[in-house]
Amino acid sequence: MKRVTIDPITRLEGHGKIEIFLNEEGEVANAYLQIPELRGFEQFCVGRPAEEMPRITNRICGVCPEAHHMAGTKALDALFHVEPPSVAKKIRELLYSAFYVTDHTVHFYALGGPDFVMGPDAPPAERNILGVVHKVGLEIGGQVIECRMRNHHVIQMLGGRGIHPVAGLPGGWSKAVSEEERQEIEEIAKKNVDFALFSLQLFNDVVLSNQGYVDLILSDGYTQRIYSMGTVDENNHTNFYDGMIRVVDPEGKEFAKYHPSDYPQHVAERVEPWSYLKFPYLKNVGWKGFEDGMDSGIYSATPLSRLNAADGMATPKAQEAYEKLYETLGSEKVNGNYTPVHHQLATHWARLVELLYAAERMLELATDPEITDPNVRAPVTETPDEGVGSVEAPRGTLTHHYWTDEKGMLTKVNLIVGTTNNNAPISLSIKKAAKAAIQKGEEITQGALNQIEMAFRSYDPCMSCATHSLPGQMPLEVTLRDAEGNVVDHASQYLD
Amino acid sequence: MKTLVVGLGNPILTDDGVGVKVAYAVRAALASGRVRDVTVTEASVGGLRLMEMMLGYDRAILIDALQHCDARPGSIRRMTLEDLRTISPTQHSACAHDTSLVTALEMGSQLGLPLPKKITIYGVGVENITYFGEEPTPAVARAIPEVAAAVLDELSRSTE
Repeated sequence: MKRVTIDPITRLEGHGKIEIFLNEEGEVANAYLQIPELRGFEQFCVGRPAEEMPRITNRICGVCPEAHHMAGTKALDALFHVEPPSVAKKIRELLYSAFYVTDHTVHFYALGGPDFVMGPDAPPAERNILGVVHKVGLEIGGQVIECRMRNHHVIQMLGGRGIHPVAGLPGGWSKAVSEEERQEIEEIAKKNVDFALFSLQLFNDVVLSNQGYVDLILSDGYTQRIYSMGTVDENNHTNFYDGMIRVVDPEGKEFAKYHPSDYPQHVAERVEPWSYLKFPYLKNVGWKGFEDGMDSGIYSATPLSRLNAADGMATPKAQEAYEKLYETLGSEKVNGNYTPVHHQLATHWARLVELLYAAERMLELATDPEITDPNVRAPVTETPDEGVGSVEAPRGTLTHHYWTDEKGMLTKVNLIVGTTNNNAPISLSIKKAAKAAIQKGEEITQGALNQIEMAFRSYDPCMSCATHSLPGQMPLEVTLRDAEGNVVDHASQYLD
Repeated sequence: MKTLVVGLGNPILTDDGVGVKVAYAVRAALASGRVRDVTVTEASVGGLRLMEMMLGYDRAILIDALQHCDARPGSIRRMTLEDLRTISPTQHSACAHDTSLVTALEMGSQLGLPLPKKITIYGVGVENITYFGEEPTPAVARAIPEVAAAVLDELSRSTE
């Protein structure tokens, strides 16, 4: 058995690495993503007042603190058995929509997009946002920055603080929206809708007009037929803030639809000796190893999975964009609904459909007559015991589960973070992409490495879901070893 | 000179929050009010977001955890942006979800954004950044007043 490792060499720990095992014939036998574990979170939390959780958990992650703040706040609603007033839910969703706009924008322009705009074989040093700016024009860089800054401003205005919001409370929100703020947010939301439409047009012009890219998206190396998970509203439309968890099978048939608090009946976690991170899978299908198909309980929770798990989008322009995606990528309509798309690189497109939905939803909420209602909090009167809160984080369904004593002091905490859902499919994707990119007897090229990374990158995995950041230019080392551990080939490149 | 001091890191991840703790110490020392035009803040972001935070300032001083084979726990390294280009970045200046600070600044500069003319980075060698906890390890804890003093010295010298 030979072994290939894609490993950051400037950082010895704290970040993920990709291990690829070759068989005696030199073909890819298996591939794994290894993510180091952050330890002691539960011990850190136990004994603290539960109300601190939305502020503690948003420290877990420097990338999506808003998602943790929201899931934590919703878990407190459940824990204290209090129903927030309608306006509080709308303010939360408004902030969350602004957050989605920033997060999806940056992924497309800085991480996912460069592979397409610059091409998968472009030198790594060019495959970044600067490359995109060079190719598409300086103006686009300005638009990206402006989009991020105006939405960060909204998050600060609504959340009480810029990077780590603090406004979430059990039973509501600590701050009402003034009419002046509402008007400002409405204007920002309109700009977001335009920007999302522009981004979809750019995707059309750069990616869909290039047959080579379309072929790449449709190629077998990036296709895996697995279950899809996402949160849906009462019409089975995608929702980021609230709803039921819906899982569809690889054919698109509803497999499960449950309240987020019922997750233990549907999701089990598998432990593998080579990884600290657990592998969630669908309990009622069962674990069949790292395989795709109807009999394997592996599911994903990504922008594409969310679209697959829904019957459509709740806003008109996003619905149009959704239909175009499914029509273009060969989906069929069965009983009025599109069958799932399993081409993983289409996740980048799905992310832009979601960007448009987030922008449209933000505009709906900003123009909702109720949004300036000052009654933003319901009193807390019940004794706390146990509560689950869940949202769709950009990187997958995020679940917070807290247990307390009768005084509200935490006794137990369980979190399933976005990326954890995708742990098994990421390994599956890397394996498929590696099989397609690495041919026996051939040298491992930069292009081959990047093709494997593209599989990984479409998930935008949050490696440790901490504030940890990879070094911006993460040199990756791929070492091909024979059965005795001798290095027989070597290549390296940057992840940025 | 309008200056921004940013402590980077996660204050509940043992040594990872060393930059934030230094920022707290600097803020406390500045409360006496001798140095003007200084904003002290904390962040757990890198890349584009960090670049955006610095807009409108003449100077920025960043304090961050540094995990590097040469950096002993508690050791202090003062770096310029040029160093950041050539040595490995500090723990938080880059962002896995967008881009490195160097790339972000290059983009800001191309766009003509009002970036600080001078950026200094203090990297503090760390030991434990994988275990949740509010207290840094002893060697790193000892470095905090030292780094804070260096930052304060830098602040007072330039306003003279």
